[in-house]
Amino acid sequence: MRAIARLVYSYFTSTPLTRALSVGGLVLCAASLLVLTSLPQSEHMLAVAYAGLLAFFLGSAFMPLMVGKLSRGHAARLLPHGRVKLLVSMMLTVALVALPAGLLTPFAYVAGVSGKWSDLQRNPQLLDFTINLGWVIFTSSCILAGWLYLAMYFITSQRNVAGFAKGLLVVVIIIVVPTREVNDLSATTSSNLLKLAVAWLVFGGLYLVWPRLKGAMANWRIPGLPFFGASSRTSGREVDLILGTANPWVYIAAQVVPVFIATFTGLASAAIWLYFLAIMSAVTGAVSGQAAERSRALWLRSGWSRAELFAQVEKSFWRHNSFMLGVLLLLMVGMGSYSGFPTSLLAAGLPLLILGTVLSTYLGLMITRGLGWTESLLGISIMLALMAVPLLLQAQNPNLVLVAAIEFKLLLLSLVLRIWARRRWTHIDWTQCRPSRVASARNA
Amino acid sequence: MSDPAVQASHLGKAFGTRQVLDDLSFEVAPGDVIGVLGKNGAGKTTLLELMLGFTPPTAGTVSVFGQASQQLSAGNKARVGFVPQQDELIDQLSVADQLKVIASFYPHWDGEFIDRLCGEWGVNPAARIKSLSVGERQKLSILLAFGHRPELLVLDEPVASLDPMARRQFLEQLVEASMDGNSSVIFSSHIVSDIERLANRIWILKDARLAWQGDLDSLKECVVRLHIRGGAETLEAMAISGELSRRRDGDFMTVVVRDFTPAMQADLRGRHGVDVEVESLGLEEIFLELHR
Amino acid sequence: MFILNPQSGIPIYRQLLEQVRRMVASGQLAPGAELPSVRELALKHAVNPMTVSKAYSLLEAEGLLERNRGRPMTVASRVRNTSQLSRRIEQIQPLVEQTVLAAKQLELSETELVKTVRKNWEDEDE
Repeated sequence: MRAIARLVYSYFTSTPLTRALSVGGLVLCAASLLVLTSLPQSEHMLAVAYAGLLAFFLGSAFMPLMVGKLSRGHAARLLPHGRVKLLVSMMLTVALVALPAGLLTPFAYVAGVSGKWSDLQRNPQLLDFTINLGWVIFTSSCILAGWLYLAMYFITSQRNVAGFAKGLLVVVIIIVVPTREVNDLSATTSSNLLKLAVAWLVFGGLYLVWPRLKGAMANWRIPGLPFFGASSRTSGREVDLILGTANPWVYIAAQVVPVFIATFTGLASAAIWLYFLAIMSAVTGAVSGQAAERSRALWLRSGWSRAELFAQVEKSFWRHNSFMLGVLLLLMVGMGSYSGFPTSLLAAGLPLLILGTVLSTYLGLMITRGLGWTESLLGISIMLALMAVPLLLQAQNPNLVLVAAIEFKLLLLSLVLRIWARRRWTHIDWTQCRPSRVASARNA
Repeated sequence: MSDPAVQASHLGKAFGTRQVLDDLSFEVAPGDVIGVLGKNGAGKTTLLELMLGFTPPTAGTVSVFGQASQQLSAGNKARVGFVPQQDELIDQLSVADQLKVIASFYPHWDGEFIDRLCGEWGVNPAARIKSLSVGERQKLSILLAFGHRPELLVLDEPVASLDPMARRQFLEQLVEASMDGNSSVIFSSHIVSDIERLANRIWILKDARLAWQGDLDSLKECVVRLHIRGGAETLEAMAISGELSRRRDGDFMTVVVRDFTPAMQADLRGRHGVDVEVESLGLEEIFLELHR
Repeated sequence: MFILNPQSGIPIYRQLLEQVRRMVASGQLAPGAELPSVRELALKHAVNPMTVSKAYSLLEAEGLLERNRGRPMTVASRVRNTSQLSRRIEQIQPLVEQTVLAAKQLELSETELVKTVRKNWEDEDE
């Protein structure tokens, strides 16, 4: 019990930032609760409530990472009742995170409907309804939280693009499946509880049994196939191998699958489809974010100057990206003709894909001193711009002039980023490439 | 003899076609300090993992405190401490938080003891684990295994990244821990001098088997280098039992043997009429000779 | 008090044995003198306490040391004389072997060596 309590506490207070988020989130939720009981519902109040819920969730965003770390290591095997306690702590965290939503909803509903809490006491049917609503929202939030934590796990625990792409895949599933149901209001407490029970039984069962399974699997051998976990070899130039750009097919596969899922689950709107494609094209560039660290080995072994090194690295990434870009463009055209996209969409969409790849590649190459504020802000602005275009195109009569203007500006930005990246590479200092190294150098 | 802390019988582990460990049988008595030596890839880590049930054996059995390793009860888990080769710390937490999380799983955790060691070893409880140096991370990993005062301590290269002073402090702690005569320690290390100080028994892993398992003292008395002087032909023709290697230069020869007894010296002198001097070897040399 | 070399080919317990014997024989450790406790010695030299225990137990069996309840081991007050001589000869044996070996390497005869030893003995007495 002590362990479970301690674990849950640690999930919400792992770093000073998450602690602030957790506490702040609770405060905001409490504040909105107070307000909802005394004032009529307003959009501002709901916004505060949403902000509080989001903050509270983000405060525990490291939970999947921490559980993953503890579970994968020897700790889970050796700590008394280790896995069981970890599993229970996960379930408890999900319930805790969903609790404010479940509590707030009845009050929000009442505030929205009649504005008076005393009305409830006079109307038992209303009371029952709001309580039931609270339960529905609570259980739905539990389901949603579970999926979000899963996405968080992939996003926070993997350090390469394949993992990041996996995270995005889960995000797609989340956006499509559970929210659809909540919007349809087809959820009931009992159906939710059933879903929760099944999901947690399966997950919990697998989680507890996993070590034995892994041990048994390690002894399997399917004749002819490579060993479980053995990575396939790819041939490639030395530059490509060191930079990690030797095998683009993995990344292509990681991106194509979510696109297919999104298409065939009925997201027929061309713009949403394009929205996903734009995000995926940015992922291609994320690979380049590791180029700076890895290039040290290249520089030591070749006779290149830093400027020459940059040119070689740039070439390698274009070799890699051209595959992915080609596949994405083909997909766009193919799905476009299959789904009957308007030509304006294709005309605006194809350059957008190219721009997304170019911008993110050069932004990644700019990361020579760890991910700082400049790069983060640039990255966010680029993503927003990339997403803005499909949204603009979704309108009945899209403003093509504006779209063209945005794309032109993005083109200019990509040229600027290239120059910036090249300049940084001529002064690259490998001891500063990774933030963790900088911190430990300071403490040494 | 009281019940052994660890017992293995014909233990084996294979990964696919690769036989990493083959037919190992051993016992760890309470109070033993066992040093495990072996070349890189000899299977030291695998052996330690098999012992604690992290991976199932492909042959034979191994048990801890009388219970099969794969089915350790929670009570027995609380009597075991493990320091892995790669640390498994949670970077986001502070040192104090990490300690508290692990401590919460154990019914008996000696907080004062750990606080004192943090002070002596220079580990700052308020520091973020992400910002710790490699040595500090290793110290923390060791502390995490000490806190619940385990009766069986298993360490996989625990001091590879520590400076000599930190290593000495760690050794002193192990000495303290083994004072009661009840705790057993099994540790694998490349730093032979540490093992030489602390271990009373040595296991040498070679070619998937235990090339030696026995007292360190006996090992030093059995594996010796003989300096033999005599006629060149006599030396050349001499057959010595348990010989590991020989080097001859004219009428002077050195031979390393693995099963020396004092009687052997007199025997060689008598039988071949040669001069025999005995040189005892340190553990590192013994290890090198056994791998020649 | 003791010099222990864990890296030596001579087991630690044996080093301790020989040093204690020598010190008792030379009078450096007088009868009744207290030896460091097992814990003290083990911590100071960072060696396994069982090694120290083993040496102390063997010395106790030889009659050189006495165990006192609750207090550290002390040198025995009555050291048995009969075993003394052979023990003392055993102590000096390695040194004698080394000297003989060196003499042979330098191609000195036995008589010459004995003469040198005698001269040294007489010089010491003066």
